[in-house]
Amino acid sequence: MPESPGTNGPSPRHPGAEHPHHGPGPMAAIAGGGALGTLARYGVERAVAADTLGFPWATLTVNVVGSFVLGVVITLLAGRWPDDRWLRPLVAVGFCGGFTTFSTFALEIDQRARHGHAGAAAAYLVASLVAGLGAALVGSALARGRTGPGPEGAYLPDPDLLAGDDPPPGGHDATGGPA
Amino acid sequence: MILFGLVAAGACGALLRYEVELRVRRRFGPSFPYGTLLINVSGSFALGVLAGLAEHHGVGTDVVTILGTGLLGAYTTFSTFTFDTVGLAGRGRSGAAAANLGASLVLGLGAAALGLAAGHLV
Repeated sequence: MPESPGTNGPSPRHPGAEHPHHGPGPMAAIAGGGALGTLARYGVERAVAADTLGFPWATLTVNVVGSFVLGVVITLLAGRWPDDRWLRPLVAVGFCGGFTTFSTFALEIDQRARHGHAGAAAAYLVASLVAGLGAALVGSALARGRTGPGPEGAYLPDPDLLAGDDPPPGGHDATGGPA
Repeated sequence: MILFGLVAAGACGALLRYEVELRVRRRFGPSFPYGTLLINVSGSFALGVLAGLAEHHGVGTDVVTILGTGLLGAYTTFSTFTFDTVGLAGRGRSGAAAANLGASLVLGLGAAALGLAAGHLV
């Protein structure tokens, strides 16, 4: 079944642009995206104010929403907009990274377990993993739209694309599409 | 005032994460997300220390917010962790996906607990 053009396979990359995010512009985009993501997370935390050892709805929310957005954005970048130079540093590396947090997630579990709330700690851990992994999967699947899984069964684009490095020349197949 | 601190700390955390990610990838290659693992474990340890200091030594809440939510929140990432894990599994590398999941949880939670204990001791 023919794929629609541009949804799979290697894209024409920028010759010589070994690290497309280096240089003042993309670095500023990472910094700006990180700042915006951090402010957005702070806003969610303020809106969902909870008891010190209550269920951490704020962190759960940002981590699930951020996983969904990252799934959508990286999949669109890998499939439809492979030559976009701004969305990856601004939204994927900057915003999603700044908005979501692993350190608070880990600390919140430890603190609950330490204060005798082992059940709440376990529920929070499982909910974060199931909803977070599910959100990344659903976001990516929605962004793939009707193109379906790649010919090699690859469901998601290579996460290595996240950092924005070009794949090694003739190296691994980034999107699971035909080389 | 706290918003300015959050903006600066969030920007620094994101840039630091990107820098660590690139360096680890150059050294260990792209086959496994070692960079994100290192970032999340080291950031969890640092946040544990900060929380321990805040509990026992009265570090101000603004400092905790700017460093904990801003710097370490932006430095560590949950979305890359979930996306990488799902991506590895989707490409048939279930073992690597399970290893990433298990290592992130065990080392991340352990690092936060260790940091918390260290922050209490200081």
